[in-house]
Amino acid sequence: MSEAEAGGGSGSGAAGGKEQDRFLPIANIGRIMRRAVPENGKIAKDAKDCIQECVSEFISFITSEASDKCMKERRKTINGDDIIWSLGTLGFEEYVEALKIYLKNYREGDTKGSKSSDQNGKKQILLNGEPASSFDGM
Amino acid sequence: MRQARPYSGIFCGGVSARTGPHALPLARIKKIMKRSAGETADGGARMISGEAPVVFSKACELFVAELTRRAWAATLEGKRRTVHREDVATAVHNTDLFDFLVDVVNADTAGGDDTHDVDDVGDGALG
Repeated sequence: MSEAEAGGGSGSGAAGGKEQDRFLPIANIGRIMRRAVPENGKIAKDAKDCIQECVSEFISFITSEASDKCMKERRKTINGDDIIWSLGTLGFEEYVEALKIYLKNYREGDTKGSKSSDQNGKKQILLNGEPASSFDGM
Repeated sequence: MRQARPYSGIFCGGVSARTGPHALPLARIKKIMKRSAGETADGGARMISGEAPVVFSKACELFVAELTRRAWAATLEGKRRTVHREDVATAVHNTDLFDFLVDVVNADTAGGDDTHDVDDVGDGALG
């Protein structure tokens, strides 16, 4: 009974056409919902559908605000800070701190790249207790 | 019960904060953003940086979790164990922060999306 989870929604199975593009995949949303209720709780499909719609509205709501901000400041590109600012402005202050940290980590990860070349152990892949770069092969 | 599995397009090329697992697909988030992103002063499409969908992927997680928790509270009040659409609607009506969702949750019950006949915002709406 799995919903259309066509490869994480990277466009490989746009069978629903434009309709699917308006919403985030229901399976992903359902997973987040399930984590938010106790183990004995259940989620009906109509609740998932409803929240799926709410999330798209949430994205639109925040994005409009961010877009207005960019327009006032004569900038062409909406960035992560604009989203965080908009969330704070529209009442979602509780999300702001966590998202600032999340964005900071994302930006730091971006400059260092996925092959972690720094040796301070932050994102090193260790194999048998040794850094992967010194892995000699089996 | 389904098992969690990696999302294609996320795990290509190692796990880092940049390509690391996001719970929601970034491309889809970006598509939805584009619908509301409007235009720039010179009439071009507003651009969206790569990090904006990343922030949203987390923000939407927080949002879904909060809305679900509040809906669950409504479920419990009804002495049930299954969250239904009506519980989500109750949560929306009871929370000022979610005022922007009122039309979304009402749309289904009235069969259209410009229903204006819901005037009683509820007892605890101003709480």
